Amino acid sequence: MTNETRSGVPHPAGAPHPTGAINRAPTKDSVGRVVGRSGQSNAPQGTEHAYTLVMLVNDRPGAVDRVINMLRRRRASMQSLVVGRSELPDVVRITVNVNDSEVEFNHLLEQLRKVIDVQSIVNLSPAQAVARELALVKVNGTAETCSEIIELGHFFGAHAVDVTDETITLEVTGSEEKVEKLVSQLHKYGIREVARTGCVAMTRGTGDNEVKKIED
Amino acid sequence: MHPSATITQQPEGAQAPYAYRSMQADSQVSEARELAGSHILCEALVREGVELLYGYPGGAIMPFYDALTAYPMLRHILVRHEQAAAHAADGYARATGKVGVCVATSGPGATNLVTGLATAYMDSTPIVAITGQVARPFIGRDAFQETDVLGVTQPITKHNFLIQRIEDIADIVHEAFRIAISGRPGPVLIDVPKDVQLGKATYRPSASVSSIEYFRSTRTPQPSATAIAQAAQLIAQAQRPVIMSGHGIILSKAYDELRAFAEKANIPVITTLLGLSAFPETHPLAIGMPGMHGPAHVNRAIGETDLIIGVGLRFDDRVSGKASEFAPHARLIHIDVDPSEMHKVKPATVPIVADAKAALTALIAAVEPGDHSAWIDEIRSWEAQDIERIAGIKRDQEYPDPISIVDAIRKETDGEAIIVTDVGQHQMWTARHYLWTRPNSHITSGGLGTMGFALPAAMGVKMGLPDATVWVVAGDGGIQMNIQELATLKYYGVTVKVAIMNNGYLGMVRQWQQFFHSRNYSETPITGPDYTKLADAYGLTGMCITRREDVAAAIHRAMEIEGTVIIDFVIEPESNVYPMVAPGSAITNMIEETAEVNAGHD
Repeated sequence: MTNETRSGVPHPAGAPHPTGAINRAPTKDSVGRVVGRSGQSNAPQGTEHAYTLVMLVNDRPGAVDRVINMLRRRRASMQSLVVGRSELPDVVRITVNVNDSEVEFNHLLEQLRKVIDVQSIVNLSPAQAVARELALVKVNGTAETCSEIIELGHFFGAHAVDVTDETITLEVTGSEEKVEKLVSQLHKYGIREVARTGCVAMTRGTGDNEVKKIED
Repeated sequence: MHPSATITQQPEGAQAPYAYRSMQADSQVSEARELAGSHILCEALVREGVELLYGYPGGAIMPFYDALTAYPMLRHILVRHEQAAAHAADGYARATGKVGVCVATSGPGATNLVTGLATAYMDSTPIVAITGQVARPFIGRDAFQETDVLGVTQPITKHNFLIQRIEDIADIVHEAFRIAISGRPGPVLIDVPKDVQLGKATYRPSASVSSIEYFRSTRTPQPSATAIAQAAQLIAQAQRPVIMSGHGIILSKAYDELRAFAEKANIPVITTLLGLSAFPETHPLAIGMPGMHGPAHVNRAIGETDLIIGVGLRFDDRVSGKASEFAPHARLIHIDVDPSEMHKVKPATVPIVADAKAALTALIAAVEPGDHSAWIDEIRSWEAQDIERIAGIKRDQEYPDPISIVDAIRKETDGEAIIVTDVGQHQMWTARHYLWTRPNSHITSGGLGTMGFALPAAMGVKMGLPDATVWVVAGDGGIQMNIQELATLKYYGVTVKVAIMNNGYLGMVRQWQQFFHSRNYSETPITGPDYTKLADAYGLTGMCITRREDVAAAIHRAMEIEGTVIIDFVIEPESNVYPMVAPGSAITNMIEETAEVNAGHD
């Protein structure tokens, strides 16, 4: 294994990609966070909102593909995407975060509803939903900084899952903001790799928060 | 013997393996049979009431073709190119309202269907495409003639299936038909690996529900009563309302309802390109087609209307022009069976997600009789001004004129023919100047604008409606795409009459070059064969008409000659379609015909 892949830094921005793909630097805000993925949505700039969609999809060949394809075709700006099992057999739960204008988003919803294998779609409002993601963060750690890093992690409910002479890997679960805060706190030690699952979400209590049909 | 007769012949006393047998009462126990996948596929098609299939055999679909000879009620038409199979199935579906079926092999056979599927998808027509696929163990290994057809056709089908188990064949076929025809119709593709066709499984017809049985047991969803009441209120308040009717009227066969509604509320009716023939143009309330090539008074009416009742249309950009300036004073009652069409181009004041027939029936009961004669008179006065202005323009009198050709066809057939047009100038001339009266008599590729659509689609139309007279109107560019289907028409003895408007140009592109690219006629002059000789080579009849006074006689002769006839009308080379709205411009901003002198032939 080469050092490059082990460190998890596949390619510096601007370096030619082995397959010829252009490695574009992501759009960042003033504090250096990646914000949205420019050029992916039709929404006029400044009209975008973040939406969390939860879809239950029949586990049939090509079904997930069909949903993702629809998001691409309608130029929805996807921020994160989680595909996993649900409480039902043969049903996949897809959680996707989309940045779009309200008009475009409502159209997207109706388009997704038309995909034959989509059983239901719920648009979760942040106030009514529990949303969590899991992240693994690998930082440079020496004998001196090791306990300091682990302690810092404790503040965020994170724990070390792998410790070597040179690295410490923390596992953290929580809201997007919490994960981002931990990552920014760890910057000073030197981050080697961050792996985030993207958000999964559900409504609080018994509310089903079903998206209203367009006619109602 | 006629070739088709051999196909439909059934051997005396042959063991018919098809489903009808199992429907008999005493066969509860013996119903289950061990059948090959290809036979199960045929059984399911028979249960779906399929009579005609258009297709082309090849390696991966051979087991199906092997089974087909045991099912004489499934009449197969061997086209000369798979694209034509898809268009023919599309034409059949548009003319009959039933699902059209096309068949192709894997790889190139399947990719040749793509244009036809995309055409059907854009115009919401129900077709089912069956494609062979390489055997399951070879899928994903770049096998000979392997294409990821599911991936290729995903964005241009309503749904598609890869059959992974022989036991699933019947269910999937029935589901495919149900999806194709329900709600907003569309194409569905079924990809069947060769080993799934060959393998055997127990087939029990009663284990799966055919789409026919399914629709018998379900009811059309009714429009919401609140929405209908709101709509009726808006209609009562409106001073200058218009109805815009689209393909949805034809798909739901709501001709009578549309007419009754328009008459009761006394509202003028605009029909989109795909809605043409949904409302008789001889009716005093019919005002015409909107959009890029709509007559000025229609677009002006849209510019001034205060209420649009849109039924079964999607406000395509060729209709709406610049969306932000479309119908600026109008509120919108939008009736469509597809909720994703609501608010897409123009936000609807009252969205009604329902079948056109159900919604119009409810509206007829909800509205009060109206009187908008002042508004209608105003629109008519604009129209009269236009007619007067156009009458003053000097035109070439020698060449067959597109309008005279369309007129002659109409007169010769009393407006009872089904007209199938291709794409381009001739399509717009026909749409505008043929006075549509017979319901669903206008068939064209609207959304995708597929050149080469007309000839194969007309074959499907004629075979779906054998008693109808079918005319193709095409340009000299489009007719050369899928011209090979003349052989199919000849072989199966299918009669369509073909009028080619031959101007030696890809006319619509040339017109755009004239208007928007300073007459830089880049690659638009085009030559073709001698159509008289070509027709002769295919064993058909051809004519070439170069003078206007011969047009009517030629059309008349074409009707008298048996079999398919091709008439090559040499028209003025630089005729334009007027008026025209520049793409991206507001529809009230039209390029009108002026007294310019058109160049003659060299």
